Amino acid sequence: MARFIAKRVALGLVTLVLLSMLVFFMANVLPGNVARRVLGPFASPTAVAQLNHQLGTDKPLITQYLNQMKGYLQGDMGKSVSTRQPISDVLWPALGHSIKLAVLAFLIVVPLSILGGVIAALNEGSTRDRVITVGGLSATAVPDFVWAVLLLIVFSLGLGIFPSTAAWPDGSGVLTQIRYLLLPAFCLVFVLFGYIARMARAGTIEALDADYTRTAVIKGLPQRKVLWRHVLRNSLLPTIAVIATQVGYLMGGLVVIELIFNYQGIGQMIFRAATQKDFPALEAAVLVVGVVFLLSTLVADVLYSILNPRVRLGSADQ
Amino acid sequence: MSRDQTSRRVDAIRAKRSELENHLIDEYSAGRLSRREFIRRGGVIGMSAPLVGFLAAACGTGSKSGGGSTSSNGGAASGNAVEAGGKEVAVKPGGTLKLGMSPGPSTEIDPIKVADEGGLGVMSQSGEFLAWSDNKLNLDPRLAESWKPNKDGSVWTFKIRQGVKFHDGTPLTAADVASSINALSDPKNGSNALSTFAGVLSKGSATAVDPTTVRFELDSPNGNFPYLLSSDNYNALIVPKDFNGKWEKTFPGTGPWKMQKYTPNSGVSYVKNTDYWDKGRIPKLDAQQVKFYPKEQAQILGLQSGDVDVLVHFSPTGGKALLNDPNITVIQLRSSVHREIHMRNDKKPFDDKRVRQALALAVDRQALVSGLFAGKADVGNDSPFAPVFPSTDKSVAQRKQDLEKAKALMQQAGVSNASATIDTWDGFELPDLAQLLQNYGQQIGLKLSPNVTPAGTYYGDAVFGKSPWLDSVMGITDYGHRGVPNLFLNAQLTSKGVWNAAHFKNPTYDGLVKDYVQSLDLQSQQAAAAKIQNLLLDETPNIYAYFYYFLTGTKKNVGNVEVTAMGHYDITKAGFTTGA
Repeated sequence: MARFIAKRVALGLVTLVLLSMLVFFMANVLPGNVARRVLGPFASPTAVAQLNHQLGTDKPLITQYLNQMKGYLQGDMGKSVSTRQPISDVLWPALGHSIKLAVLAFLIVVPLSILGGVIAALNEGSTRDRVITVGGLSATAVPDFVWAVLLLIVFSLGLGIFPSTAAWPDGSGVLTQIRYLLLPAFCLVFVLFGYIARMARAGTIEALDADYTRTAVIKGLPQRKVLWRHVLRNSLLPTIAVIATQVGYLMGGLVVIELIFNYQGIGQMIFRAATQKDFPALEAAVLVVGVVFLLSTLVADVLYSILNPRVRLGSADQ
Repeated sequence: MSRDQTSRRVDAIRAKRSELENHLIDEYSAGRLSRREFIRRGGVIGMSAPLVGFLAAACGTGSKSGGGSTSSNGGAASGNAVEAGGKEVAVKPGGTLKLGMSPGPSTEIDPIKVADEGGLGVMSQSGEFLAWSDNKLNLDPRLAESWKPNKDGSVWTFKIRQGVKFHDGTPLTAADVASSINALSDPKNGSNALSTFAGVLSKGSATAVDPTTVRFELDSPNGNFPYLLSSDNYNALIVPKDFNGKWEKTFPGTGPWKMQKYTPNSGVSYVKNTDYWDKGRIPKLDAQQVKFYPKEQAQILGLQSGDVDVLVHFSPTGGKALLNDPNITVIQLRSSVHREIHMRNDKKPFDDKRVRQALALAVDRQALVSGLFAGKADVGNDSPFAPVFPSTDKSVAQRKQDLEKAKALMQQAGVSNASATIDTWDGFELPDLAQLLQNYGQQIGLKLSPNVTPAGTYYGDAVFGKSPWLDSVMGITDYGHRGVPNLFLNAQLTSKGVWNAAHFKNPTYDGLVKDYVQSLDLQSQQAAAAKIQNLLLDETPNIYAYFYYFLTGTKKNVGNVEVTAMGHYDITKAGFTTGA
């Protein structure tokens, strides 16, 4: 296990280096220059040259890239070229915001969709099953931003129960924060429910058919015990993998949701950095998302092996 | 006071006035200026409000029409819209007003460099200018108590207000003013104001003569100079002389609001400055909180759902939902915001002015105004002279759609099956406008194909040879509001204009613009304007199809929000109405 993790971490580092290069050079290939973006089209060329020099964006690309990497190694993410703030002042709170939203969405969607999947599996072929599978799939097929607009119109503008933004006022307590986050979280719940419920349903059906389940039933175990001990434990394996892959989407992929709800998460930060040609901020944010993504898949793999000892994780151990 | 007494007093006053002031009084007495315009111009050349008021009453002829320039603000309001500058309503003292701004400051706020509406709006809450250019283009003295030009308007002397303190308690002096303005005209600072000051004010031309007087020696006479030091100039904010460039740390200023907390990209909160020098303008509210929205749609929802009470600015295109919302009051303000549709005067097919005229005649301006802006725009007449400018000669005939004439012109020019690309970028209504132009072109046999790119691509390096904006055969460029047309006239159209995308080179025009800029009174400005307007209609280097309104939205229970088309807002008198 230790070797497996070490190898995965090493591979992850290589991936991150490649990612950083990709982001840096691709972003710089785009036309226009940084100071021009900051000062606007009507600023004089002298002013633009002056600012580019001040920002160091007139240096060769490779020097800029190496300087940035050197900063990262020293734990310094550098300053945003547009707001001139230290990037870490923005990035960590943004990450925190994204995590809060993701956690809330998961807390709602994971039990709900697993329950849905299991109920559907237990009633395979019945109306209940169809309602859950078809309903879930339809909800998933609708893009998150459509859900956002729909929920806003109904619950915020129409009924006035929820605020139209996810940005809670300064100094709000946990409950208020949750109230502000519920609408965006439900957009994600709708999008994710279909996926997860389908996986849970398939896994459950498979586990229900398995020999060990039949044995347990024949052995005379009560149905609840069979479900908990034998069916669920086995059926959840693929579900966990699906959930883990969604972490990347939740951390950084929610650009539109975060914009609609004016939420200062990492998706909005990436959007802003990209439109403002704020490359240092863009690079840092993308790398952090990359780290989160790598970590979540690693955790999923480890969890998988713990839940299912048959998986040896193991080419690394051989 | 009897008639004789009044006239003796007027004579006594006039004996002490400059030639420029006496000329203005003559124009007014002769009925060539409306009362309102007399008051406005009097303010610009530095006559005090009581004096102008007395003279307006004493010398008025009762003429209401005056030189054709009256209302800068007379667009018909409809639906839930009200004109800006309405009557003050009663409001409860105290409370916190929540405002939405989209997109908010786009970069670090630095008065020397600021070039965006968000930065400007945030800055002018805690900071102040020498004068405030209100939504009727009147200049209201703020940090300057008064100002005076010399005989030809080449040297202007400003008296600085006494008893004003920066938020940290340091008193304001003439040295602060001189250093603030000199920082803008020094090329080494790369100020955004360099383009505004080009040919007007050079490095080091502001001198603090004594602790209360600043003298500005101009490169050439300029009758509108006070506007360049007013809130009309993004960068002319007065900061302490030891200002180090780190404006965001404390928002150093003298204004009615003190910054409490600023989070870039998120929002800013202010509390009222109880020590403010103008006791009449100490805010009625206790505090204001401004929220920044990266996308306009989010701020529209924010106002509708009550997350904010006011939207400082929304676009007619993005905010159509607000225009008929019974819970919202829309404040509308005429402006000079426009799109310049340029046609390369030196490249085929537009090197023949008949082709340019033909395309301009094919455009249905009224349809653009109602289709793109739900009527919240003025029709343009192919020059930067927007109806909002008092100097615009409104008697110049309006160009209207005339397809027959357009086709005939195309035939005369011998152009058939010509084609061109319309370059523009993917913001505002620009892609829609490009599409519509394509249709208009089609109707006269001109094949136009839109090429819509991101803003960065379109503007490129913003210098000739390295910018689709300045190099393309045809393109659409967005221009923000200015209180006077000088910058548009110079930069967009003079032979040496740095933004002359049409590559229009016409010595007669250049001369007329020079005359216009140097005119010190409205009468001669209008005369020069008429010549420029007619020349541009004939040459049609660019199409100016509309000037759209500046729109502000408030909840029904909010009163006295003042805005200017520059993007400043003033909520010192604002509050929640007593009825609510």
